[in-house]
Amino acid sequence: MTARRPRRNIVIVGGSIAAVTAAQVLRAEGYQGRLTMLSAETHLPYSRVPLSKSVLSGAADITTCALPISTESVDVRLGQPVVGLDDQAHCVHVANGDAINYDGLIVTSGARARRLARPGQSGEYVLRDASDIPALVERLFAARTVVVIGAGFLGMEIATTCTTLGLDVTVIDRDPPLRRLLGTWLSALVVAKAEASGVRFVRADKGVSLLGDGHVSGVAYDDVTLQADLVISAVGDIPNTEWLQRSRLRAAGAIVVDQQCFASPDIVAAGDVAAIRQPDGSITRLPHWNNAVRQARTAALSLLHGRDAPIAEPDHYFWTDAFGMQIKVCGRIPEQHDPIILERDDTQGSYLVQWTGSDGNPSAAATVNRKLPVVKLRRLATDAGVVAT
Amino acid sequence: MSHIELDRERCEGHGTCEQIAPNIYQLDDEGLVSILVDQPLPDELVGAAEAGARVCPLAALRVVDGS
Repeated sequence: MTARRPRRNIVIVGGSIAAVTAAQVLRAEGYQGRLTMLSAETHLPYSRVPLSKSVLSGAADITTCALPISTESVDVRLGQPVVGLDDQAHCVHVANGDAINYDGLIVTSGARARRLARPGQSGEYVLRDASDIPALVERLFAARTVVVIGAGFLGMEIATTCTTLGLDVTVIDRDPPLRRLLGTWLSALVVAKAEASGVRFVRADKGVSLLGDGHVSGVAYDDVTLQADLVISAVGDIPNTEWLQRSRLRAAGAIVVDQQCFASPDIVAAGDVAAIRQPDGSITRLPHWNNAVRQARTAALSLLHGRDAPIAEPDHYFWTDAFGMQIKVCGRIPEQHDPIILERDDTQGSYLVQWTGSDGNPSAAATVNRKLPVVKLRRLATDAGVVAT
Repeated sequence: MSHIELDRERCEGHGTCEQIAPNIYQLDDEGLVSILVDQPLPDELVGAAEAGARVCPLAALRVVDGS
């Protein structure tokens, strides 16, 4: 697979961390050809991580979240949504009518926020891109009551910021808050802190709909209506793959790639738009920062080196920051089991905990407000009998 | 000559820089990033330093040309 004509014209669709990483890896590997990045966004690449926290609260400006990229070595084109792929002709179509040829394509078109509004309803806010920020911040500072739909990481981070701003906050979800992500024990810890901060939680196991024929005025669930000045949905994301529908890569949902991030011999994909088919046939989509970085690295190396490139091992590391608790997790938390508490400091509200699987071996570890090098946390998530120091 | 600018206030210790460039960055016992190499950076380390800086989710690292 390695004896192939070298690539000379690589196009990257997307403009976030996966796109930036892929571009950097290509250049670092000595790729000398054309490198074009087509981003639908109007901002230069930035990290989304602080958006729900310091940027939303007004403590930081989006410009401080910029991801370093050399526009000298990459032709970065902003405000260029790609609307189609002709994989037989090796070209992508941009919304402005341009057709851009490639001999290698990196799909990092990411995902967008899922919405609940019906046609004709306006005023449902989401938080995904920098462009979502200005209108949302304006409404936040004018509102008194807010309903956050979705009690996952994003919803809880938004709720935290709203509480800090003095708003009356209700969080609504069909599932118990954070339970699926953090398990029973750890999610209960966060919920207790949130409730102590004045947040109300509502369980709507039959789902939620938005009130209002024009502007959204609240939410409805079961037989209950709940009015609010502001409704923010944090109900998951949808991979941006519609532009692939007329190509051979058409996908319902994420674009499925192999462990080397190949979708086809000249097309690789990485980040939130991608799901990886594992050797056992399962398909995993892990839309976290570290996986975007790992996959983008593999994707770039695969385009250059073919099957010699290293595979993108999934990284089960993620974190969140909610209600004064910084939580870092490695591994997969069993939902129902309580962890072993290895360390606890009530004056700091800090914990170091470890979960074991049914075989008795460690399956996950987490810190709460506890500083620990991540390599040690990783070891605790996988090795039996490791003592954290 | 290039050097690494670190905004330690922003560092949350996720260690992504360390994963990408372990010869440049390491999380210390406090779990926060420390820089292992002398500054200004020798030319041969600039690429690795940039690669590690670029993947920081908090944008706490930057390699700048200080000349």
